Amino acid sequence: MTNEQDIINRIEAAYPDAVCKKKQERRVEACLPPDRLFDFAGRMQSHWNFPHLSAISCVDWINEGEFELVYHFWSYEEKILVSAKIRIPREEARFISITELWQPAKFFERDIHEMFGVVFEGNDDLEKYILTEWEGPPPMRKDFVTRDFANRFYHFKEYEAEWMGPQQNPQAADVQGGSNE
Amino acid sequence: MSEKLTQRTAWNRVLDKLSGRSLWMLHYCTGCGAIELPPTMTGRFDMERFGIHPMVTPRQADILLITGYLSVKTLKRVILTYEQMQSPKWVVGFGSCTINGGMYWNSYATVKSLDQYMPVELYIAGCMPRPEAIISSFNELIDRIGRGEANSWKDYYENYDFYRKNQEHVFGGPINTRTDVKSDKETFRIQSAGK
Repeated sequence: MTNEQDIINRIEAAYPDAVCKKKQERRVEACLPPDRLFDFAGRMQSHWNFPHLSAISCVDWINEGEFELVYHFWSYEEKILVSAKIRIPREEARFISITELWQPAKFFERDIHEMFGVVFEGNDDLEKYILTEWEGPPPMRKDFVTRDFANRFYHFKEYEAEWMGPQQNPQAADVQGGSNE
Repeated sequence: MSEKLTQRTAWNRVLDKLSGRSLWMLHYCTGCGAIELPPTMTGRFDMERFGIHPMVTPRQADILLITGYLSVKTLKRVILTYEQMQSPKWVVGFGSCTINGGMYWNSYATVKSLDQYMPVELYIAGCMPRPEAIISSFNELIDRIGRGEANSWKDYYENYDFYRKNQEHVFGGPINTRTDVKSDKETFRIQSAGK
């Protein structure tokens, strides 16, 4: 049975520009250049015995102007989770789809497209997924301020009871302040 | 509402008294508040001693209990459900979420005050209300029905344009609920009112 260091050695031998790290017990992180990811994923699936794509997640690094896509691969036999991280530019974010390797990636990519606005080339179904009535910008981006949107878009009830002065209700005052902006 | 409708005959009084004693409740359990319903329905608090019984279909239900927050997506289903229910019908908003968004007050995906989209007869405040509060509000509802004051359902017909405008604002376009609200309105001989 291989351990984490074996996996790291294997990745670094095949991809000299990858930066690998053992995060903790049974968790390996590999930072890759974006153009290596498809090749890496195919090798993980077919050669290195990582048949299960657990998830694809996305991180918005707004100060660096980048999206980080994290691909989690799990091996049932090694019992190790490898997280491959790539960074793509945030403006008009596009990346290659891995649906040819994993059909379930369709849903992960569709979700990331909805929540972050990343377009996956090769994924033929990037329709609305969960937010079927949503018209605005992708809501999980850091520059989307959900509080301002809620104050602008929804109607809040103004509630005043005799026993409750305006000072004792900070949330209502907050809402009021937000809608005046 | 016209003068004639506000005057209750003796027959209406008897009808109101009786209809308040056999309420069937449809509970829309989207939020966490639904966890308070099993004790309310079952042995310990026993809702059925007041004649309130859970119902599985909207067409046979009198009360629509909204337990907790509604996202935009679920609000559409609630409106479909509400319009399928036969009048008279009463909506009970359960928990802070239905009043002003509750802990989701700054979320982009949840609607804040339910009474913008359908007339609400009663709100139960709290996060979350205990079964005692549910029982107490149902008793209040029974009293109101018996006195002939629980008329919030007429508001949907009177101000249908107002509610539909708010619904379409949230959904970003017209919706087709396949219920002919306007002919229902003529059945009950309700006039429009400006809101």
